[in-house]
Amino acid sequence: MTSGRRRFLATLLLAAATACAAADVQKVVYHVGMDELPAQKFALRNIQNHIDAVGSKNIDLRMVVAGDGVTLLQRARNDENLKAAIDSLKLLGVKVLVCQTTLAARKLDFKKDLYDVAAADLVPNGVAEIARLQMRGYAYVKP
Amino acid sequence: MAEKFSEEFLNAFVDNELDAEEKSRAYLAMQQDDALSRQVCELRSLQDLVRLAYRDVPPPPSRQRVRGLKLNAIAAGLALVVGVAIGWVLRTPPPTVPMLTATAPAATAEQMKVLIHISDGRREHLKGALDEIENLARFYRSAGQNARIEVVTNGDGINLLRADTSPYAARIAQLQRDYDNLVFEACQNTLDSLRNERAITARLLPGVTVIDSGVAQIMRRQTQGWAYIQV
Repeated sequence: MTSGRRRFLATLLLAAATACAAADVQKVVYHVGMDELPAQKFALRNIQNHIDAVGSKNIDLRMVVAGDGVTLLQRARNDENLKAAIDSLKLLGVKVLVCQTTLAARKLDFKKDLYDVAAADLVPNGVAEIARLQMRGYAYVKP
Repeated sequence: MAEKFSEEFLNAFVDNELDAEEKSRAYLAMQQDDALSRQVCELRSLQDLVRLAYRDVPPPPSRQRVRGLKLNAIAAGLALVVGVAIGWVLRTPPPTVPMLTATAPAATAEQMKVLIHISDGRREHLKGALDEIENLARFYRSAGQNARIEVVTNGDGINLLRADTSPYAARIAQLQRDYDNLVFEACQNTLDSLRNERAITARLLPGVTVIDSGVAQIMRRQTQGWAYIQV
């Protein structure tokens, strides 16, 4: 864009300022890629604490489950504590995204083998999704 | 005290036209100066508005002049919308402007730059990491997505790239052959500590680049707009 055009559009700055009010919302992507149950529980608690600290209205939080991390959603099918922890996060607006490449490699059926995953929660590649979100201004946390 | 920048400089920053060193200066100054970071945010939003306006307009038949005229029309239209929106915002408490949530540019046009960090050197972990790297490279290729992938190893992660310890030398050679947009890097600091603390002079696999410091590279790349993922 040339500076001339930008100067012409400076009349729109007011609208831009309004937009910046919404920019106070934290955008963050959590990467769940580990197999160990204690580490997975720790990650869920991390996310819960993060939301408690800033308030669910002030955060747009995505949790990308990829690679070994998918065992979290397998375990949750038979673990009431994990179910409750995941439900609680979802009620607070957390979007849980699941790597389709991982599911294909491990021959997992998201409807049968994982806890509470819908077709809309699937992403083609978890790592690529994390990269894409970072390009859109999401901060990256690997608990 | 934060550095002051000209309007031209900030516009170039928002348009991603600065070199790495200039960008780092801008980021540093923004951290120290709230007013500056607000100013950049406003410029960014303005840029998003313009991009949104362009996105829904079919390409004009002849280049320069028509574009200018169209821009006038778009701007007038936008100004109207904005006016209405502001009116609306003023009469209802929560200031959310739904129009502004739909401003993401098409992903395929931009180059994806991804830094993958490996610091865990356990054999089974390295296998998982290589799987992730290969899947990512394959995904970008099949999606026709222009991408660069840089694999940074430090600490025990360097085991992956050491000729004497790597369990996956052949696989790495294959990946290097298959994907010319994929590079493997080893941290000089780690090589130094291997030599100084454990008397190991590590040889690296062919085609591995040595970087000064893994963590410095991670920071550098992030300020240059790379995504960062630890596997």
